[in-house]
Amino acid sequence: MRFFDCNAFFGLPARRPLAPVATAEALLAEMDHAGVDRALVWHIAQHDVAAQTGNRLLTESIAAFDRLYGCWTVLPNHASELPAPAVLFEQMYKTRTVALRAFPDDHRFLLGEVSMGDLLSAMVLRRVPLFVSLIRGITWRGIYDVLEAFPELTCVVCDHGCWGEDRMFRPLLERYPHVYIDTAQYLLDGGIEALVSDYGANRLLFGSGFPESYFGGMMMALKHADIPLEAKQAVAYGNLERLIERAWGDIVKEVVV
Amino acid sequence: MIGRSPLAREFWKHGRVAACPIYDMHGHMGHFHSIYFPRADAASMVRTMDEAGVRLLVFSHHAALNSPDLANEPSIAAVKEFPDRLRAYCMINPNYPEQVARDLAAFSNLFPQVYVGFKFLSDYHQVALTDPRYAPAWEMANERALPVLAHTWGGSAYDGEAVVREVAERYPQVRFLLGHACHGAWHAAVALARDFPNIYLELTAVFDDRGVIEIFVEEVGSERILFGTDLPWFDPHHAIGVLMNADISDADRHNICHRNAEKLLAPILPDLIA
Repeated sequence: MRFFDCNAFFGLPARRPLAPVATAEALLAEMDHAGVDRALVWHIAQHDVAAQTGNRLLTESIAAFDRLYGCWTVLPNHASELPAPAVLFEQMYKTRTVALRAFPDDHRFLLGEVSMGDLLSAMVLRRVPLFVSLIRGITWRGIYDVLEAFPELTCVVCDHGCWGEDRMFRPLLERYPHVYIDTAQYLLDGGIEALVSDYGANRLLFGSGFPESYFGGMMMALKHADIPLEAKQAVAYGNLERLIERAWGDIVKEVVV
Repeated sequence: MIGRSPLAREFWKHGRVAACPIYDMHGHMGHFHSIYFPRADAASMVRTMDEAGVRLLVFSHHAALNSPDLANEPSIAAVKEFPDRLRAYCMINPNYPEQVARDLAAFSNLFPQVYVGFKFLSDYHQVALTDPRYAPAWEMANERALPVLAHTWGGSAYDGEAVVREVAERYPQVRFLLGHACHGAWHAAVALARDFPNIYLELTAVFDDRGVIEIFVEEVGSERILFGTDLPWFDPHHAIGVLMNADISDADRHNICHRNAEKLLAPILPDLIA
């Protein structure tokens, strides 16, 4: 099986964790140990310091490594803190940055039409995925609100928790065709099988939550889930590749591993 | 491949390894109010156990945790249905001393065919482990050197590290399994395990915190660490994957998966462990 991780970061958090992974090189070494082929990554400074600082660190850090794809942090743009959407997308393409993240509660803005209508509308048109994490800067209410306003938004809900959040994300999967969830902390026994049975294999993406979680946990759970091999491969690799291709064309396949 | 060791390769390939059976020392069963479970009945759980090579699950039914009306009856029924694969902890809810008295009176008749020890859930019942209402169960466990699995959480006034230390001093013969290993207070858990030879660190909900297992193995030793998943909450394959990916040896993995539990349970279940 091949694995394309949609949810990993590197860099040193302000509050020191047990096992930080400081650099892209260290992240790649851990990926090699675990057998992860590629990863969509972000730098913790995008959350802990500032979008501008973290985005720059991310881009500089991954430039030399074709197996890593970037995921920048976005903000409302009324103070011109980041480029306008068209320029932003152009910069993204040039730097192998293929998705965006938002931490609205922690970065003190509202993720919706009034604050970010221009960017979110452009993301819908371009099909650029928005990643949100329930352990950093957004709640289920915030996710429900942005999807109500932008029902065609491609949105990947990460880190939804080990306490079982099916009652939260299944309604979103049913109503919004471009909502996906990742596997990080989806530890629920039989959860992968039930979700694939009810919604197909295309709505779940392999995400590790590394470095706060181990790569190996959800890799093993997926490898031995009682679902067809094609479904496993879709979750492990194909679904994220497809999302990226929808927005950016052959940017993934241009890279030879 | 999630690791390069022979054991990691075997688990990755087959999902289970006969030479490394799993003893899951922290399970539950049945519906629970705040979560959807796809596999919560006994038969479905045994199916999961088969898929991951879990030899034995020691559990307490969710009804036993939170329904004094049903108490331990659902646990007892499940063990009788799968006597080769399940054993139960006798759940003690100290908010109902009269039920505790009935549970203790019934314990001897059901040990070890059904029960192997006790389960305390102090945070949820909001009664500290040191509360006198727990004393009859602690005393029975201490007298008979039985396992007690207590939910423990860092900083809790009911079952945090300070409370654990107090009862560990009071009941030195109890085989004291710290469920969730004083979650979050990792170094306090290490100190407790170093100070008290009867304390074991149980790993439910620890597997998703990268780095903890390595600290426990290095600072306590893998001989005092037990595998647990809260099944039907957490997929045992996730826990196995973490163990195989973690920076520990295959000997440590064998200890955590089965050897420690076998030593703990052998005096209680000699036929089953053999």
